[in-house]
Amino acid sequence: MTVFANIQKGRYMDSLETLFAASLLNEQEGVSLGFVGMATPAFQKELEQAGMLTEEIRQCTGSDTVVAAQCRDQAAFDAALAALNSHSTADAPRQTEESFVSTRAAVEKHPEANLCSIAVPGEYALSEVRKALNLGLHCVVFSNNVPLEDERAMKELAREKGLLCMGPDCGVANINGAALVLSSINNRGPFGICGASGTGIQHVAAILHEAGTGVSQTIGTGGNDLKDQVGGITMLMGIDALEADPETRYIALISRKPGQKVLDKILDRVRRCRKPVVALLMGCERQVVESAGAVWAENLDDCALKCLELVGIRYPLATEEQLAQLAQEQVGKLSKGQKYLRGLYSGGTYMDEAAGALVPRVGRVWSNCPLDLAWKLEDSYCSRENSCVDYGEEEFTLGRPHPAIDPSIRKPAILREAADPEVAVMLLDFILTPPGHPDPAGYLLEDIRLAQQMAENEGRHIIFIASVLGTTADLQDLRQQQQKLEQAGVIVCQTNYRAAVLAGAIIRLKKERDADEL
Amino acid sequence: MNCDKILDLFRSELVTVNVGPRLFATALEKQGYAAIQVDWKPAAGGDAEMIEILELLGGLD
Repeated sequence: MTVFANIQKGRYMDSLETLFAASLLNEQEGVSLGFVGMATPAFQKELEQAGMLTEEIRQCTGSDTVVAAQCRDQAAFDAALAALNSHSTADAPRQTEESFVSTRAAVEKHPEANLCSIAVPGEYALSEVRKALNLGLHCVVFSNNVPLEDERAMKELAREKGLLCMGPDCGVANINGAALVLSSINNRGPFGICGASGTGIQHVAAILHEAGTGVSQTIGTGGNDLKDQVGGITMLMGIDALEADPETRYIALISRKPGQKVLDKILDRVRRCRKPVVALLMGCERQVVESAGAVWAENLDDCALKCLELVGIRYPLATEEQLAQLAQEQVGKLSKGQKYLRGLYSGGTYMDEAAGALVPRVGRVWSNCPLDLAWKLEDSYCSRENSCVDYGEEEFTLGRPHPAIDPSIRKPAILREAADPEVAVMLLDFILTPPGHPDPAGYLLEDIRLAQQMAENEGRHIIFIASVLGTTADLQDLRQQQQKLEQAGVIVCQTNYRAAVLAGAIIRLKKERDADEL
Repeated sequence: MNCDKILDLFRSELVTVNVGPRLFATALEKQGYAAIQVDWKPAAGGDAEMIEILELLGGLD
């Protein structure tokens, strides 16, 4: 293998573009190892460690883009480069190639700008948010790993200026109909949602959409907003704004358990709210929530259903009995040694929700982020018994985009798990969003079919169960994604919780049958 | 709290300055919303000491 390099002087590629290009490069025939990046000192060091830092690359600067690969020959490298180029031109045409070097320069040319979407490394987030707020822009901050004191500082500045600061670590926000960061596209409607859980907001909004109503605005606060150190600043501003917004008739609040001081403030604010509030504050007593005058929601599905009740819409979700019936029908397809489930998740909220539904049904669930620390997998690549792995965790995403954007992270896991003869059920979640993969279900179909084929060759049948988070308005189209999975033999449940309940019911039933046979 | 500026945002056509990966700007454009791209790079190549000096000099944009 020889090292080949292509250098484009002065060409800028952002971090996500280079990550995608590197993934694609490494998939090309004849390429054993490839790197794509701006020739910064860190990138050059990476190449040096791989033994691929040529003198030509050493002469480059951080303004130059480098494609470097260990390749079979020049022809293979040329073919790989052609694949990279054709991929980048296959992207949606941009309305403009115009770009700026700073937010100030962008706003000088476009004074009509009113929002700033910020996705920079966490240590730089405060600086960028300050610039945007000082220019009068509301902010949605995707950056994560932002120190809590920085988060508090940016939110205090936003509050002082009367501007929204959604995030940091904000994955979901829908403003004026636009799906920002990793949101789904939703119909407009009377529900304003403010939440510290991106998946939670997206989940409730998607059910509202599918039930024929929709959202006025959704405000993601970021997962740390309701910690006492941050003080719930964005949540409290969000409630104020949604209460004042004439398009919002009902408010839904979603969060994991807030810090005690913040919880008191939120409940006090809810008590004074002039609009009906549905609250899902995970881990909080029903009576505590209801004492503030809010409608209590038990979980994400329940939150959506309680919202729908307010507008008189009945949206039927599968009942426990219906899922138990389906489990009865499926369990007979399993062979003798098959007894465990494997959940491959692209996000923590859904994995936690699934584990919460599974544990009462199947007992302990091993995981890289388990509900009980005693159930932590020693190696996230080696599942045991009933296991769920969150592929959105940092151990998988360090230096890579989130699985909702790049689903290749969990792709190898399907065949790996299917090779285990004790596996009976595989659980998968899919998330639709405009910046996401254009066909996340289609991307995994080949592996699902191969896994099933491999199992059947050995006299087994694997039950694949999935849920798709998104709407029919999403660019990937919820219905099309569901149909693709169903055509490949996957059982598609309406929601993640229901998928987990079904999986748990099958495993429990199988255990009972195996015991009876003994 | 005075919500005038937030309500102004809710009533206005959304125009987003996108600081970071262009993917997010493209996603907004695909939905028919205006996005203005800022090709972000760490100031002074990410050199913390140099950034501090630039900040002191008011030279960071």
